[in-house]
Amino acid sequence: MTPTRGYRVFQAANGVVLTLVVVVTLFPFVNILARSFSGEHAIRSGQVTLWPRGFNLTTPHRVMSDSLFWTNYRNTVVYTVVATAISIVLTTCYAYVLSKKHLKGRGLLVGIAVLTMFFNGGLIPNYVLVSSLGLRNTLWAIVLPNAISVFNLLVMKAFFESLPPELEEAAAVDGLGTYGTLWRIVLPLSKAVIATMLLFYAVSFWNSWFAGFLYMDRQELFPVTVYLRNLIAGATTGSDYSTASDTALQIAASIQAVTIVLTMLPVLLVYPFVQRFFVSGVLLGAVKG
Amino acid sequence: MAHLSRRQLLAAAGAAAAVSMAGCSDDDGTGGLDDSRAGAMDGFKAGDQFKATEPLTFSIMMLSNQAYPFKENWPFWAELTKRTNVTLRATAVPGSDYNQKRSVVVSAGQAPMIIPKTYHPDEEAFIAGGAIVPVSDYVELMPHYQDKVRRWNLQGNLESYYQQDGKYYLLPGLHENVWQDYSLAMRTDVLTKLGLAVPATWDELTTTLRELRKAYPDRYPFSDRWSTPPSPGANNLLGILSDSYGTKAGWAWNPAYWDAAAGKFVFSGAMDQYRQIVQYLATLVSEKLLDPESFTQTDDSAKQKFANGKSFVISCNAQTLVSECRKDIAKIPGATVAKIPLPTGPMGATLPGESRLENGLMISKKARESKNFVAMMQFIDWLWYSDDGLLFSKWGIAGDTYTGDVDDGTFKLSPQVKWGGLNPGAPKELQVDYGYFNGVFAYGGSTAMLNSQFSDEEKQFQAVMNKRTPRPVGPPHPLSPDEREQVTLWEAALEDHVNQQTLRFILGQRPLSEWDAYVGELKTKGMDKYLDLANKAYQRFKDKK
Repeated sequence: MTPTRGYRVFQAANGVVLTLVVVVTLFPFVNILARSFSGEHAIRSGQVTLWPRGFNLTTPHRVMSDSLFWTNYRNTVVYTVVATAISIVLTTCYAYVLSKKHLKGRGLLVGIAVLTMFFNGGLIPNYVLVSSLGLRNTLWAIVLPNAISVFNLLVMKAFFESLPPELEEAAAVDGLGTYGTLWRIVLPLSKAVIATMLLFYAVSFWNSWFAGFLYMDRQELFPVTVYLRNLIAGATTGSDYSTASDTALQIAASIQAVTIVLTMLPVLLVYPFVQRFFVSGVLLGAVKG
Repeated sequence: MAHLSRRQLLAAAGAAAAVSMAGCSDDDGTGGLDDSRAGAMDGFKAGDQFKATEPLTFSIMMLSNQAYPFKENWPFWAELTKRTNVTLRATAVPGSDYNQKRSVVVSAGQAPMIIPKTYHPDEEAFIAGGAIVPVSDYVELMPHYQDKVRRWNLQGNLESYYQQDGKYYLLPGLHENVWQDYSLAMRTDVLTKLGLAVPATWDELTTTLRELRKAYPDRYPFSDRWSTPPSPGANNLLGILSDSYGTKAGWAWNPAYWDAAAGKFVFSGAMDQYRQIVQYLATLVSEKLLDPESFTQTDDSAKQKFANGKSFVISCNAQTLVSECRKDIAKIPGATVAKIPLPTGPMGATLPGESRLENGLMISKKARESKNFVAMMQFIDWLWYSDDGLLFSKWGIAGDTYTGDVDDGTFKLSPQVKWGGLNPGAPKELQVDYGYFNGVFAYGGSTAMLNSQFSDEEKQFQAVMNKRTPRPVGPPHPLSPDEREQVTLWEAALEDHVNQQTLRFILGQRPLSEWDAYVGELKTKGMDKYLDLANKAYQRFKDKK
């Protein structure tokens, strides 16, 4: 069976359009990559497009040869993993409870969560609180205060509510308790939403710098985002004499590109593995019919 | 979804109020110093080397500069302890967000004892909370500081730091002389080719630009940089121009200008001098001598135009001249560039006198309660204000990182050490590897000390600039906290309008014949009320004195 002419035209058009989309999305990324390996003069006079001009490794080398960078990078990994784990557990438990319509005081529990979306203690009271709890300069100052994102909580709650109650009733009939139902029935069916939450949380903790900056008083405790932010700020303000050196100028020109590549990399690497669950999440509804 | 009852909201509001109240506490700790003398030197006077009588530790908020990140093993720390018997315990704060962290920890009452790198008037935000000490109460503990203020005649400058209570809360860096760093960079090879002299006045600059335009009719001879909002754009150009005309604009902007003849404050943006600089720039733009994009473009595009020979004049300072302008034009054969002596205007060969004070230190309330308070003030006095202390924090140890003497001009950085433009190619960096010339400690000082850091080219520029006399600074007009709040609102609205209209006048979008209408608009935005308040505050200060 040969495809009709119309179908072939469609396919060709499809291919062209999708290729264009890929080009449009990839172009800035490749450009950034090229800039991070280019010479200062080429970057400043705007000559770099897709390929490095005046190949130069000063900035990546300067960033990566600094032991503080790796210490901070390790911190970021630890903070992200611990914070994401805590957040996922807390959010899942809270959301599951809230999804039960027969729960007494459910409105109040939702209210407490939502209230924090609109009101918070403010910067200084929060700082005083974290200090007096003795959390400053510890991992907990970063992972605890923002453990539950209310937005994620509500998304998850909506997802749990959309699961057919018959499944849980059947599980109860078969003798599963509350935790058994959650663990064996609900969670396996919720891989899609959990993967999404995992990604949301992990990316937001990965990118966050403020808590680390505020609550940490020693450089070796900073997340890498603070390190890079400081480097960028130093490169873009020309106010200090020290930036007059050639190295500093080279760094000033390509630091943003190098930073973007370095911080994007892990998310880029993790995404393909998490993506699997998005696909299965989409299919979930189809199977149930 | 969410049902918030009125009771829930009330409870939350109550809790929030309770938390915010807890942050405030008020008590006055200025008493005798008898309990605070542990470790202090008796009879500490100017010229003395400070050394604590017992080992002491003071906490300090340490800005970690991205170009030379804070290190605990800098030789600076060890030598400091050796000389003074004091160890500084540093809280490292990334320079990128130093002010934010400072404001949180100071407001939360958790600040280290010494809080450096504070630019006036940032300290005013912390006065009402009582977290910082009125340093003026304790300057008698600081002989070097007092000596410099007296010898360099800085009392007038300091008065602008006074608050309504007759005290000041910031120990500024002190400069012997005005340091004019910013000017214009010009392509000297093009000037030579056309047989043009370096312009000495702003009017001569116009003539020169006209000649350049005649020779290169396809391009704007002058395309400027430093146009970051919120100021109107071309902020350095407006700043240096306003200095020469006797008003305040761009980077030099200050809404209140002291009119010595009238004996009162006038509004900078409504002065006739301000109209003149706007007129001057409007003329340059309308004759296509100044790129209209100068006021809006990014630094990068301004630098690109200069780099590609599309413009011949651009704002610069000693550092950008060498590190940017000169490197950018390296690809153009035979191109040379120099920083020209600041063109003069109606104010003649003078410079505004305000810039002799630098960023400085705040002292936290906690430090005042320490039994080592007096020793700490003596230590600060030595490190930040004595010639020895300044020399040490700037250049390090004689015979190790430098040789010679700054006062007789024999100073030389050791060949294995590089700093800025000095000794390029040396293996070690003064800031990165030693911890000297750190912006937290090394600033201010005598003209001889300042000269020691300049290249020969810059020394020549400075020699010309040093012939200009600093103008006396205007008197202070300290405001009460309530007044300041009101003034901030007025200032924001006024500055906004001045910036917008300045730009429209210069770019020819609004004819200068509408100047009077513009002044009328400033009045509707509270200019007169603002000036009334400023002049009343000045009168109040004068009467008190």
